[in-house]
Amino acid sequence: MKVKEVPQDDITFYEGEKRACYALNDEGKYVIVPSTGWEYEAVVNGLAVDELAAHLEKTRKEVLAGIRSPLYYHMESRQMNPQILAKTSGISVFRVKRHFRPGIFARLKPSLLASYAKALALSVEELKTVPDKSAGKGNDT
Amino acid sequence: MRGKATIHKMNAEITASGRLFIHQHAAHCESGVTSALFRDQGVEVSEAMVFGIGSGIFFGHFPFIKWVGMPITTFRSRPRTLFPKVAKRLGGEFFTKEYRNTQKGMAALRKALSDDHIVGLTTNIYWLSYFPNRFRFQFNGHNIIVLREIENGFRISDPILDHPVDCSTEDLERARFARGPLEPKGFMYWAETVVENPDFRRACLEGIKESCYMMLRVPFPFVGIKGMRYLAKNIIKSPDKLGFPEACRRLANVVRMQEEVGTGGAGFRFMYAAFLQEAAELFGSDELAELSREMTAIGDIWREFAVVSARIVKQRGQSEETFAKAGGLMLTCAGREGQFFKELHNVARKLEA
Repeated sequence: MKVKEVPQDDITFYEGEKRACYALNDEGKYVIVPSTGWEYEAVVNGLAVDELAAHLEKTRKEVLAGIRSPLYYHMESRQMNPQILAKTSGISVFRVKRHFRPGIFARLKPSLLASYAKALALSVEELKTVPDKSAGKGNDT
Repeated sequence: MRGKATIHKMNAEITASGRLFIHQHAAHCESGVTSALFRDQGVEVSEAMVFGIGSGIFFGHFPFIKWVGMPITTFRSRPRTLFPKVAKRLGGEFFTKEYRNTQKGMAALRKALSDDHIVGLTTNIYWLSYFPNRFRFQFNGHNIIVLREIENGFRISDPILDHPVDCSTEDLERARFARGPLEPKGFMYWAETVVENPDFRRACLEGIKESCYMMLRVPFPFVGIKGMRYLAKNIIKSPDKLGFPEACRRLANVVRMQEEVGTGGAGFRFMYAAFLQEAAELFGSDELAELSREMTAIGDIWREFAVVSARIVKQRGQSEETFAKAGGLMLTCAGREGQFFKELHNVARKLEA
């Protein structure tokens, strides 16, 4: 890759940041060139992001329909899985999975809710509900 | 001469004790941090050089280890192996420690800063909110340098970004003590002393030889050139085996690992070519310079693979491009890299003699 071939496609999700790319200058020496993103990278990233967003939206509707507890939604929005959530909150995987059931989640002790809220960096109030709009918290990387 | 390649963008910063620190933009976090720690001790070494000495280049495709539901494909050595290798090969005394307790870990960080160290940390990238949202994902192997404490947080030199940033104490605590695969456990490291004029030649050769071994000789089907062939054949068969949408997901994931996660382009291949270019100067070796050009050419094919793959993904089967073509390009890469590492091994043995 030559310096002038380093992609500068101004990808919006870079939010003005730049990534370092290695490229050859006119004298054939390698230099680091900051890049504003590559359109092809945006394509593959977009696929993954859309998929996560669609999945999260599906989960949100399931929570509203009373199929899963809000805990499940917040776990997914933090890109965690039950194993990571269990370790972060200090609650066993078995119990975490049990708390994905809305009925059981609704009866949780405040101390358990506080553990989950801390693990997910949310307030207890936020933990108990899901957002009204599908936009979520914007953390849907 | 060394280090010239990396000095592109400079950012002057002051450390806790008022020393000058120049932030440099790097492609990869671990090599960027390691090179900065050495530079702070007065040993000029570029990111590419560190990457080569620490045997950073690699290929692996692990169909049975799933990460967010997809097999892991990697173009680099395992996280947290680069720094120890470079430290060993360049010599010096290094502080490394993990902490189980968050409070103790944070207190130790503050103590280290007040003792006039710049501190390398392993963190979870998801919790570092100074990154754009889409850069953030649950990955526990991101490395940063802490320069000094500021109000409600710390001043950070993150080599992935082209400028130093502020990070809140809360974010940093979460990032350092995140749980899950490859837990960082508050890992903290810095150089106490380094060897003043390290033997770069010997270090380069050690790095090169290990990379050649990893790429060519590991008796395991999923790593090195064998892994590349395995993945390429898998890609060619994937639309029939998995169905078109799933095949696209898998392919997109490979391209993300190659281009998106701070690789300096073409899955670290260009960075390795930059290393060989520096090494060629160091040894005055035309053969290494030639190999650097070959690696650049291989990197260009990897880029082409990314373009073809992205087109397949984007146009959902309407495109001229096929999985066979994408897999074929990867097979070409495998063939040429196989040849490349064989020659590199020979050159290294010759230079050693």
